[in-house]
Amino acid sequence: MDRGLRSIVRSRLEADDSVEEAWSVLVLGALEGREGLEAELAGARAEPRDQAPATSRVPGGVFLGSIAVEGFRGIGPGQLLELRPGPGLTLVVGRNGSGKSSFAEALEVVLTGDSMRWRDRAAVWREGWRNLHQPAASLAATLLVEGEPGPCVVSRRWEPQAPFEAADVLVQRDGRPVAGVETLGWADALRTHRPFLSYNELGSLLDEGPSRLYDALSSILGLEDLVEAQGALQEARRSREKVVKEATEARDRLLERLEGVEDDRARRVAQAIQGKAWDLEAVEAALAGAGSGATAAAAADVLRGIAALEPPDPAAVAGVVAEMRAAARAVESARRTTAARSRDAAALLDLALAYHAAHGDGDCPVCGRKRALDRAWSDRQRTAAGGLREAAREADAVHERAEAARRRWEDLATLRLDALRRAGEVGLDLSGLVEALGVWVQAGSMSDLGALADHLEAASGPLRDAVVRLRDAARAELGRKEDAWRPAAVDVAGWLAGAREAARGAVDVKRLKPAEAWLKKAAAGIRDDRFAPIADKAAAIWEHLRQQSHVELGRIQLTGDGTRRRVVLDVTVDGVEGAALGVMSQGELHSLALSLFVPRATLPESPFRFIVIDDPVQSMDPARVDGLARVLESASADRQLVVFTHDDRLPEAVRRLDVAADIVEVTRRDGSVVELRRALDPVGRYLEDALAVAGTAELPSSAAGRVVPGLCRLALEAACMEVVRRRRLGRGERHADVEGALAEAGPLARLVALALFDDAARDRDALERVEREAGAPLAEALRRCGEGTSGAGAVEVVDLVRRAARLAAWLRGAA
Amino acid sequence: MRGEDYPAEGILDMAHDLLQRADPATRGLWPRASALLARQALEAGVRRLWERRELDLRGCPMRAQLICLRTYLEDADLAARTAHAWSALTRACHHHPYELAPTAAELQGWFVVVAALIRSARDG
Repeated sequence: MDRGLRSIVRSRLEADDSVEEAWSVLVLGALEGREGLEAELAGARAEPRDQAPATSRVPGGVFLGSIAVEGFRGIGPGQLLELRPGPGLTLVVGRNGSGKSSFAEALEVVLTGDSMRWRDRAAVWREGWRNLHQPAASLAATLLVEGEPGPCVVSRRWEPQAPFEAADVLVQRDGRPVAGVETLGWADALRTHRPFLSYNELGSLLDEGPSRLYDALSSILGLEDLVEAQGALQEARRSREKVVKEATEARDRLLERLEGVEDDRARRVAQAIQGKAWDLEAVEAALAGAGSGATAAAAADVLRGIAALEPPDPAAVAGVVAEMRAAARAVESARRTTAARSRDAAALLDLALAYHAAHGDGDCPVCGRKRALDRAWSDRQRTAAGGLREAAREADAVHERAEAARRRWEDLATLRLDALRRAGEVGLDLSGLVEALGVWVQAGSMSDLGALADHLEAASGPLRDAVVRLRDAARAELGRKEDAWRPAAVDVAGWLAGAREAARGAVDVKRLKPAEAWLKKAAAGIRDDRFAPIADKAAAIWEHLRQQSHVELGRIQLTGDGTRRRVVLDVTVDGVEGAALGVMSQGELHSLALSLFVPRATLPESPFRFIVIDDPVQSMDPARVDGLARVLESASADRQLVVFTHDDRLPEAVRRLDVAADIVEVTRRDGSVVELRRALDPVGRYLEDALAVAGTAELPSSAAGRVVPGLCRLALEAACMEVVRRRRLGRGERHADVEGALAEAGPLARLVALALFDDAARDRDALERVEREAGAPLAEALRRCGEGTSGAGAVEVVDLVRRAARLAAWLRGAA
Repeated sequence: MRGEDYPAEGILDMAHDLLQRADPATRGLWPRASALLARQALEAGVRRLWERRELDLRGCPMRAQLICLRTYLEDADLAARTAHAWSALTRACHHHPYELAPTAAELQGWFVVVAALIRSARDG
């Protein structure tokens, strides 16, 4: 970045009280370009980087030495347009189609590889770059660079048939070839200080709209870095806003998606991201499967508990039932044995002994025998009971077996009641199981072992079915929840990465916005400061060019940026402010464009000391051409101006106003043979032509006799017109009136009268005065020139030219 | 044939020659010079026509002669084109403010008209 620009921005930042450190660092970062800004946003301090000093030094001024063209556009055989290197004005004059513009285009093509004139044209226009009369094509420009010992020659050469883009480019500096046209380091300057301006461009500069004009003018201000910095800020903001927008849109889609997922994790995620601020930690926790939501976790536990239920095993049921039945049978068969009787008797005796122990000696409560129960009875029976119990042990074992078998039913269906109790919460239908269990538990109140076995056998099937149904339902529910969540979890995880970036981006945007707004304002201020001198210069040029125009040009301002950038021209027409460009004539528009172009091309920063203007005169009226001549004169004080023009108006104005200028005439013969010659003023040129014809051995003398008087007449006419124009314009007459008088004058004698007496009607007086004051031979010459005849001999022809020359000089002096 | 007359064809040939021969001596001056010659060739052609028709129009201004041409030349279109070529050539033979010499293409166009007129004057 341009060091000067950075320090300007810095000092503006320091001077501004509203600046906050949080974003001012971003402005400075953006001045270092995109990377600088991103580094600053990432919290890493960017080191200011300076561009290589090569571009900041002012390069040596470049002047044009010559332009050589062969086989290009209107020029066939090679021609060399030699120019006087150094400040000054050169006019290249030629009719449309004479090939003069080809020189201007050639220079542009040599230096830039393209031509503005064709750039936006149809292909057919581009393809017409070759001259049809010359197969070889080459262009060369000789440039003189201040501070370099030898000239720099840039050339482009094409093989026959080669397309326009396939030119061999050769650059020679001081006779030594150098790498390429880029090494000259002019690419930027060619763009920003564009030293070429064609008629088309003059028109389009204003036609193509205010933004194009803005670009053309703002490029000279050297504020690209500032624009780039603004661009960097804008891009950084936009890219982040885009991320936020995308993440928000993705959030909306995700919420919709999660709505269909019956899973608590999905609900938790949805809750976390519903609002403006997203709880991304909660989302992460949900993804990890941990965190809050105890109820939901418990519900899943319930389902998992139910899913783990074990139904009664049919084999186990069958085993228990078989054992019960066996035990029942054993009890039945043992009932009729002595063991059973002894067991019963022992039980009876135990009761009687307990009775005696509790109530003491007494009568028998069973048979009623008096005093049957006493101490002796008790001792005797105690012994008998022991015997009996011994005898009953076998029967006891059978009974214990039956009791054990009875208890085993409880083991057959051990269901987790805690899980079952909450089955309703998770939406499972328990009614089947409740019914089956209701039947099953009747077993608890059954005393008959055989009946219990039958009951269990009958009830186990339905119970088993009910448990399996419930368990399967729980398993299905669990599976369904996992199936719904798993892909949703993938989506959530996918969204999370972008959401994290968006969250960071939203923070950045809050800092970027004020930085952007501040820099926009600052850039406009800096731009105005830099543009002011150019605007002043343009206004001064316009003052010269406007002449009798009613259009006044006030302030020129560059305003807005981005798509709203434009140039505001404060135009006043007949004192009415705020007029649009539309009220201006084509000539005025061109003058305005020229007013803007010349300051741009003559800025001291530009390495180019030359400006090439192609046909600025078109659609200008004569008065404006006088102004143009003045503008060119002042610009040529320190610049080399090469102006191509299609008619004689500018050369005439230049001569009349005594503007120092070289004038080169371009003519084009058949076969694209283009000829150049340095022109004198028209009088001198005609006389020189006449002398050349008179002295040319190749021409038959009769031809000379026919041509020379005509050329002499042209010289005298030109001399008279010069005299008349100088006088009348000098006293302030309108150009149009002067030209009208000249056009109406008619034959040579009347023109002489106009020159001598300012009155075309006094042609007789004029002839007399010539005869009297200039002498009879010159009067005779005047007569002959007027008639267009001469004597036959070669000597007479040469003599006529000499006399015409003297007469022209006399006319110029006499008036 | 009068002494100042020179065959119209010859004059036109000279004009052609100036236009086509790339001669450093005539560099840049050929447009005006050949225009001067072509106009003279045209006028010589018109004069010859009057001689063949035995009309004495020599004293009349050229403009008037060109108007008469419409009547005496069977080809009305050629008469019109001749009048136009003459005024264009005349313009090139006088110094006009801000005007440059005619181009080769313009001259060639006028030469074609002059040649046609001369042929018509000779044969018709």
